[in-house]
Amino acid sequence: MTEDAQLPPSNDPVPPSLPPTGAEVESVEPVLRRELRSWTFAIAGWLIPGLGHALQKMWGRAAIVFSAVGLLVFTGASMRGNVFASNGGDAFDTLGYIADLGTGCFYFVARALETAGADVSHSQGDYGTRFLATAGVLNILAALHAYEAARGRKA
Amino acid sequence: MSGGHGLSLTHIQAFLVFAAIISIAFGYLGRRRPNDRLRYILWSFFLFLAVGVGIAWAMYPFSR
Repeated sequence: MTEDAQLPPSNDPVPPSLPPTGAEVESVEPVLRRELRSWTFAIAGWLIPGLGHALQKMWGRAAIVFSAVGLLVFTGASMRGNVFASNGGDAFDTLGYIADLGTGCFYFVARALETAGADVSHSQGDYGTRFLATAGVLNILAALHAYEAARGRKA
Repeated sequence: MSGGHGLSLTHIQAFLVFAAIISIAFGYLGRRRPNDRLRYILWSFFLFLAVGVGIAWAMYPFSR
């Protein structure tokens, strides 16, 4: 005899799957709208560093993110660091490309600044490559922060 | 600072510039109040320096 068979029969009716009430629809809609808004801020922050925070009127953070990413990109490109392209030969090139893409529009600024191309035969170029990759990762971090702030999770 | 290979920074200069920029960005993103930010920036900068110099000394025996 199983355990279920020993239990007395329940008188509770099986809850029918009713359509959501008007109040439930109203509570779901702002959540979706907020989620969409948060993603918009995150993508805006990725494309133009600091924009995700500026749209939320976090001016100080917006200015700092823009300046930090810009300075890192400018320094990295001036040191003739490697700005990776999409046609990388191995996994490290692909990872570098993803990191560099994190800078959003500054990726194209870095490419424009490096008219003479990368030179990683000297330590300067190697440092520059790290500066550029760090700029991308920092901007992705800032975009995620803008997303979290829009969701109300971070101040 | 400018040489034949674009902007030319020594290792320690590049290290200090990097640590300063990242510390300031972390401070602004991670903290809200000005005092907390300043403390976080200084602490983060100090840790960058401590870890960098620590790793440099740890590698010293293998450099020769």
